[in-house]
Amino acid sequence: MADGIAPGAQGESTLTPEFLDEWRNAAYNCYSSGHKFCREVCPVMQVTRDERHTPTTFHANVVAMEKGFLSLDDVAEDYVNCTQCGACELRCPNTLFTGDFYRFRTRTVDLVKAMRSLAVEAGIEQPGWKEWNALTDRYKNEPVLNGQPSLQENVADWAQGLDLPIGGETVLFCDCEAAFYRTSLPRAVARILKHVGYEFGLMREQWCCGGPAAEMGYAEQARRFAEHNVADWRAVGAKRILVLDPHDYIAFTEDYPAYFGDELDFEFVLVVELVAELVNEGKLQLTQPIERVVTYHDACRLNKRKGIHKAPRDILRAIPGLTFKDVDHVTQWSYCSGAGAGFAIERPEVAAEIARRRVDKAAALEIDTLVSACAWSERPLTEQGGKLERPIEVLDLMEIVAQAAGLEVG
Amino acid sequence: MAVTSLSEGLVDELRGICGHDYVFTGRSARFNRARVPAPFPVHRWDEFVPDAVVLPRAAEQVSEVVKLANRHRVPIVPRAGGTGLTDGAVPLNGGILVDVKLMNEIKDIDLVDRTVTVGPGINMLKLNEELRRHGVIYPDNPASYPCSLVGGRIGTSGWSLIGGRYGHTRDLVISFQIVLPTGEIIEVGDGGGRKVRKSSTGFQLKHLFMGHQGTLGIVTEATLELVPRPEAEFSAFFAYPDYDTAWRSTGALAKSGIATLAGVVLFDERKLAYLRRDDEAYIPQPPEVRSVVATAMYGNADEVRVGAKRLMRIGVETGGNYLGDEISHGDWAARHDRYATPLHGRLRSGQVVPMSWHCEDAAIPYSALPKVREEWHAIADSLMERFEMFDDWGMFAYTNGPYKPWGDYLTEIDIGIWEMQWDDESWAAWVQAKKDISAVALRYGGSITACHGASREGEVDLVPDELGGGWEVMKKVKKALDPHNVMNPGKYLLDEAYEEGES
Repeated sequence: MADGIAPGAQGESTLTPEFLDEWRNAAYNCYSSGHKFCREVCPVMQVTRDERHTPTTFHANVVAMEKGFLSLDDVAEDYVNCTQCGACELRCPNTLFTGDFYRFRTRTVDLVKAMRSLAVEAGIEQPGWKEWNALTDRYKNEPVLNGQPSLQENVADWAQGLDLPIGGETVLFCDCEAAFYRTSLPRAVARILKHVGYEFGLMREQWCCGGPAAEMGYAEQARRFAEHNVADWRAVGAKRILVLDPHDYIAFTEDYPAYFGDELDFEFVLVVELVAELVNEGKLQLTQPIERVVTYHDACRLNKRKGIHKAPRDILRAIPGLTFKDVDHVTQWSYCSGAGAGFAIERPEVAAEIARRRVDKAAALEIDTLVSACAWSERPLTEQGGKLERPIEVLDLMEIVAQAAGLEVG
Repeated sequence: MAVTSLSEGLVDELRGICGHDYVFTGRSARFNRARVPAPFPVHRWDEFVPDAVVLPRAAEQVSEVVKLANRHRVPIVPRAGGTGLTDGAVPLNGGILVDVKLMNEIKDIDLVDRTVTVGPGINMLKLNEELRRHGVIYPDNPASYPCSLVGGRIGTSGWSLIGGRYGHTRDLVISFQIVLPTGEIIEVGDGGGRKVRKSSTGFQLKHLFMGHQGTLGIVTEATLELVPRPEAEFSAFFAYPDYDTAWRSTGALAKSGIATLAGVVLFDERKLAYLRRDDEAYIPQPPEVRSVVATAMYGNADEVRVGAKRLMRIGVETGGNYLGDEISHGDWAARHDRYATPLHGRLRSGQVVPMSWHCEDAAIPYSALPKVREEWHAIADSLMERFEMFDDWGMFAYTNGPYKPWGDYLTEIDIGIWEMQWDDESWAAWVQAKKDISAVALRYGGSITACHGASREGEVDLVPDELGGGWEVMKKVKKALDPHNVMNPGKYLLDEAYEEGES
């Protein structure tokens, strides 16, 4: 009955030797396991229940391609179905029980990025991503304004009236979504830092960090954007880069070192960790009671990708008046807003359902506010939170901190 | 891109039944539903690929797909988690693969009559995340607890690590809805009554459909047992200087009559040697420890506390040394993550290679465990002498009875297989070894399989020997329920039912 398959039966691999050298063992490690513990924590799989959207398939495809059973054409679309949240890597028994000893870690996110790049190189492009990255390339910032261009001349409009200098030893990098859409977030960060006398400046010409392009497979473009930003930092004498969004933090601490190696001599400071330190050291006093009942959304790229889950909770616990109903960070491995890795561009309905389920879990805690520390998560969560019978407001952690410090927000 | 041997008209009919977005004919969708974790001849992957995949969302859709398959005489293969250790979900003749993962809803939680009704695509861990807030759990707890699905548990008649206390899948599934091979939707239980645990009305049809490996229909809904979420868990690991002492101690612990005892697990000497060599998550023990027994108890705190004292006394009196809280609690708590243990093995040179874990899972009477152990290791040794791709990872024996941890044991020999190396010769040797392993089990009064199913190449040849006259009944049942042999054809040698001369 399987004669329809015969023409594609075992033949030549369509993968290059270099690709196979990097991924063969990882692919077989996953293939050999068959555990699939990754599956029920995967935000995409939880919605679609489609076996193609699993790390198992992402790895098994490599095996099948090496054996000549499948081609890039056959599998390229599978790799669209990932938010690169990293939950599967944490849940993988190969990471959990052999990782330390053999210095092995399941790297599904990197595999997804690599396969997306292969597809783009081979001319297999997803229409939404193609347009998104073309617009980003044209305007130097991601097109986050629903069709309206994110013009370079407007990249620092968010800072109007804040009197921020250009350049200096410490430079704040403001994410595209924050710079053009959720401007209340960078304004809150700037006010907090100015309030405690922490000196920083802005870039001369900030471009998108390039991370999203890398996530969607546009590797050359990602690299070009990274080179521009690094040159700009050097030109203004920056030594330290403040990062207010987890997605950028991933690009700076994972992609940029891969591009530039030891030449990348900047310190990348996550604003959430800096603010937690300021609060813990008493340099930032949070004195204004915030009468809200909140829970915290663990941003995937902080919690799952970087293991950062304590700092945001420390901050929330330092805010007077707040009722904080916490859900532990391991339980939140299976949560996501759906906003990562361009997934929402290509699969908006599934992404919205992921966000709806996340907000539902928050609503079950009988809270009025969902606090996040990721600009990208805040738009989809706000949209879904607003649809609830008892709507939930979504605030960024820095916005709530600014309020608690008695600072203006917005 | 979509090339299948099904006609486009038939695929259109599938789309009409399930909806356009729930029918897949692309190569990746089909290849990635061809295999399960059981040893799989990767070099022949293309022989096991279905022609189309459907993801139904309702029993009526499943029923219509099955009727369509009957009209066109096209094979149907049901698939739930695809995590099975036999090949129930592996298509042997192409056809339509019915993937039930989207049928994962919780339909009814009844805290009064203590049942939960679910779709077959739900996972037990996810179900229990919802149930725990009500103070109850569904205690079907296999090693694959975080990934296997209720439908597959029924299809394989699964086994639970804590079955000695709470029962196994067949005991915990009270009733279910199944689409028969001809498309009718029926409810089966012990008798009638979706929430009735024990009935004497008619034949006990629930058991007929337990472990059918997809040959008798597709489960579309199940009503499950709820038990109080245990207040207390107590696990204790004991160490022994040799296997025989540990085996005698296992018998004493299992027969203790402690009501909260959920299971006793015996690790043999080669298992210990393997864990020492290659499982860095296993907490090291002194070299004089050659065999280990693990125990676990669940229940109300006051009951467990008293039972634990008795259990500790028996363990020590029968030659065991308590291994301490760290290993006892840590290792037991990690039991799911450690299923398949380290996922790597070694060549004789000591080189580490990625290996699949495979376990044979016969049910063996307690009295025969030492003999079976010797003979099974000899079979594995013979394999390893001829092929470097196999590695003997030792044996476990788990108490196998539901609600009573004595009698026979799920006896498991774990064999690491470097699956990248499969070729026809090694595959044939493996199939023969499985047959030999099964033959030993039968010779000692056991059964080929306690939990996976016996439909794989090699062992399946001995199913008629094990079942005797029952095998003839099995074929008659199959032919009566599935006159056109559309439901997972080729499995369990049941094609024989349709050969000339069979009535």
